[in-house]
Amino acid sequence: MPAVPLPEFPRWAKFGYRFIVNNFVTLFLVGSMTAVGWELLQLGPDEIMALWRSLQEQPVSSLSAVFLVAFVAALYFMSRPRPVYLVDYACFKPPSTCRVPFATFMEHTRLINSDEKSVQFQTRILERSGLGEETCLPPANHYIPPNPTMEASRAEAQLVIFSAIDDLMKKTGLGPKDIDILVVNCSLFSPTPSLSAMIINKYKLRSNVRSFNLSGMGCSAGLISIDLARDLLQVHPRANALVVSTEIITPNFYAGNQRSMLLPNCLFRMGAAAILLSNRRREAGRAKYRLAHVVRTHKGADDRAYRCIYEEEDAEGHSGISLSKDLMAIAGEALKSNITTMGPLVLPVSEQLLFALNLVGRKLINPEWKPYIPDFEQAFDHFCIHAGGRAVIDQLQKSLQLSAEHVEASRMTLHRFGNTSSSSLWYELNYIESKGRMRRGDWVWQIGFGSGFKCNSAVWKCLRTIKAPVDGPWTECIDRYPVDIPEIVNL
Amino acid sequence: MELLWTISATLLLCSLLSILWKEFDRRRNRNCYLLDYVCYKPSDDRKLSTELCSDVIARNKRLSVSDYKFLLKVVVNSGISEETYGPRSIIEGREECPTHDDCVDEVDDCMHRTLDELFLRTGISPIDVDVLVVNVSMFAPSPSLTSRIINRYRMREDVNTFSLAGMGCSASPIAIDLVNNIFKTRKRTLAVVVTSESIAPNWYCGTDKSMMLGNCLFRSGGCSFMLTNDPSLKHRAKMSLKCLVRAHLGADDDAYSCAIQREDAEGRVGFHLSKSLPKAAVLAFAENLQRLAPKVLPVGELALYVLRGLRHRLWRSKEARTDAATAARVNFKSGVDHFCLHTGGAAVIDAVGRALGLTKYDVEPARMTLHRWGNTSVSSLWYVLGYMEAKKRLRRKDRVLMLSFGAGFKCNSCLWEVLRDLNDGGAWEDCIRAYPQQTLVNPFMEKFGWVKEA
Repeated sequence: MPAVPLPEFPRWAKFGYRFIVNNFVTLFLVGSMTAVGWELLQLGPDEIMALWRSLQEQPVSSLSAVFLVAFVAALYFMSRPRPVYLVDYACFKPPSTCRVPFATFMEHTRLINSDEKSVQFQTRILERSGLGEETCLPPANHYIPPNPTMEASRAEAQLVIFSAIDDLMKKTGLGPKDIDILVVNCSLFSPTPSLSAMIINKYKLRSNVRSFNLSGMGCSAGLISIDLARDLLQVHPRANALVVSTEIITPNFYAGNQRSMLLPNCLFRMGAAAILLSNRRREAGRAKYRLAHVVRTHKGADDRAYRCIYEEEDAEGHSGISLSKDLMAIAGEALKSNITTMGPLVLPVSEQLLFALNLVGRKLINPEWKPYIPDFEQAFDHFCIHAGGRAVIDQLQKSLQLSAEHVEASRMTLHRFGNTSSSSLWYELNYIESKGRMRRGDWVWQIGFGSGFKCNSAVWKCLRTIKAPVDGPWTECIDRYPVDIPEIVNL
Repeated sequence: MELLWTISATLLLCSLLSILWKEFDRRRNRNCYLLDYVCYKPSDDRKLSTELCSDVIARNKRLSVSDYKFLLKVVVNSGISEETYGPRSIIEGREECPTHDDCVDEVDDCMHRTLDELFLRTGISPIDVDVLVVNVSMFAPSPSLTSRIINRYRMREDVNTFSLAGMGCSASPIAIDLVNNIFKTRKRTLAVVVTSESIAPNWYCGTDKSMMLGNCLFRSGGCSFMLTNDPSLKHRAKMSLKCLVRAHLGADDDAYSCAIQREDAEGRVGFHLSKSLPKAAVLAFAENLQRLAPKVLPVGELALYVLRGLRHRLWRSKEARTDAATAARVNFKSGVDHFCLHTGGAAVIDAVGRALGLTKYDVEPARMTLHRWGNTSVSSLWYVLGYMEAKKRLRRKDRVLMLSFGAGFKCNSCLWEVLRDLNDGGAWEDCIRAYPQQTLVNPFMEKFGWVKEA
């Protein structure tokens, strides 16, 4: 039997319901204050003087009342966690010399790979990928065949990471000696000493800097780094944390012919982001965002989810990352789990009430009712969905019932920069800012997916209106966007 | 009005008590307790005998006679026995071309054996784990090693995982630092840390001497341990963390590049150990001790140190040069009872022992660990701890200092307080009675001693 659809209410009714439920406390307070004020106005001057004198005669009780209020206020403020501010961030802008237009990619593929079927497969992937002509690969990948040495990998790491950090330091005036915490995440390249040690060496950071290097954690590792930095900032007062998210492409070129492993070659591109987080009160004035929530979901206990993004060797011994056909379905399930935890934290009371009523109704009254999908557009103003691929963005748009404008940042980032893995969320945020859409009080939801299978999300609140033009990777091209991305590009 | 006064006073008192309780509760949950630890004991078919070692070295046809001699010298002087373990792929002859499965199997064997035993001994189910940290420096597959563990043990969806890589031989204290910080932000949290190193994918098959040392020195090993900040589990805990100090000398170029993974002149990847490594180690060590001393030493000893320093400075002309060195030394044994030193090599242990003014008894656990297990990198500290426990040296209220060095260049240390008398044999169960060995008969010396004269 088909699910019973929910009744459709007129717009004014929906608006009225949301306004009353979400502002219930405010409305109640305003109501009671108006009533008290009205009562006061009814009193004559004599009665007011009598009231004043009675207060003066009881100094102890009135003083204790004042202290009581002060103590309760202090208790409240002490129990709140330290706010974590995002002061600013910078994304790596790839040089145009690293560009890989479709023609270049296809020509190189034909010269490197002798198997015609693999070449055709990659052509079809590229046609439907949603990538544009300006995405970039590191210099080592421009060789025919690519030259994936450790030296070249380190060179790429130095190029992308140092550019991003230099930009960040220029924007924020941050000095190397001001950095107390350093978290770096790069999934597919982890030399010894680590990339965090490389940064400490280049910028001469202090010897007591707390550094952590996360590796192998996939495309959602950027939010894991943010989570770790947030925990550290809760413990250390007056601290600055530098978070660097990147993926190094050089050592990961797949040289074989197995189809499930050819996708990363087509989609992954160069990118990096450096983010400055702080818990210093004086940064609140110039910080762009405040971190509200981070929710992490790991579906590794389920074998299907665990194997859907898996590094292995093919029959010929070439190492690569295979993506399973179940990827979209698994991403949908992981998102559902993540939302179950995230929902109560961010949804307005009106949506939670509706969801709860619908749930109760489905359990007690009629199991055939269609499940109510909370309207996340009520909770968030902007969405940054990991630009993993066109299919991922399509799937999420459908699951969350988002409009085209809400997924525009993700689609355009995929088009201009490709899948830059963990740093893609920051390119998307920069797109929204460059378009002048970020206003004070706006809520942003960043969602990342990655191997494991993990779904991690972070919620930020914008602290000041950000005026375009914004200095960043979109500076020169923002006016050309948004572009219309055809379903299939003919190559 | 009396009633109003009473009510106000009561509410005031309640708020005050509430604030005090919150503060007390916060402090109660800030401790980091070590519930238990399990050191990895590979199967006996993975033991590296002298025969096997020389066979493996001889397999590399690119080596000249002088290279072969050099390698044998390193092995002969290393202070290790025939009981140490190597990865299966190297024993079976695949050291130059290990498959992805070889590398994964090596780490899996360590993680699964130690975790199975850890969950069994503590009686805690994997479903109760809140935080999972894995640190394996030289191998980081996708999905991460933490995901492998979550999949095998069917852990919860909201487990916070962290996979640290590239952080060198002193990553164990770094993992503890990470967990300790998380403990300060959450109540009643249980964390599992797996620390190991991957040898199979990192065998060097070239001829650069500075990179061949890694081949000779590292051995298979690992450890899994469980930490918690839940005060209700304190009675079951073995030790409590007192302080942790991390010193990173990466800002100095020589220190950064003295232990680095890179390609040799022929493009083969290996782990390069340069001649400036001892100097970097000394500097990092000094930096760490400088910050550690005030946290670890009793006030009396610190005062004595200051006085000695003053005396040396004021009466400089009357002091002989040798006295200056003794005047500057701090007696760490006044604040620390046991020393877990990183088993980087016989020379490292001796040098650190001398610097800290330790006796033969104090460095015995580290020397014996090096002999029995070799240099197991990050997990060596835990084998040394295991030796002390198996020898029944760890008594309640004893203080244990863990000290390690690693690429970067880092020197990390942490101080533990033993909470109850500890008696487990652990990985040393079957062989502790044979230790301490009075003369460290080196089987390599017997067979290849001619190398020293040649």
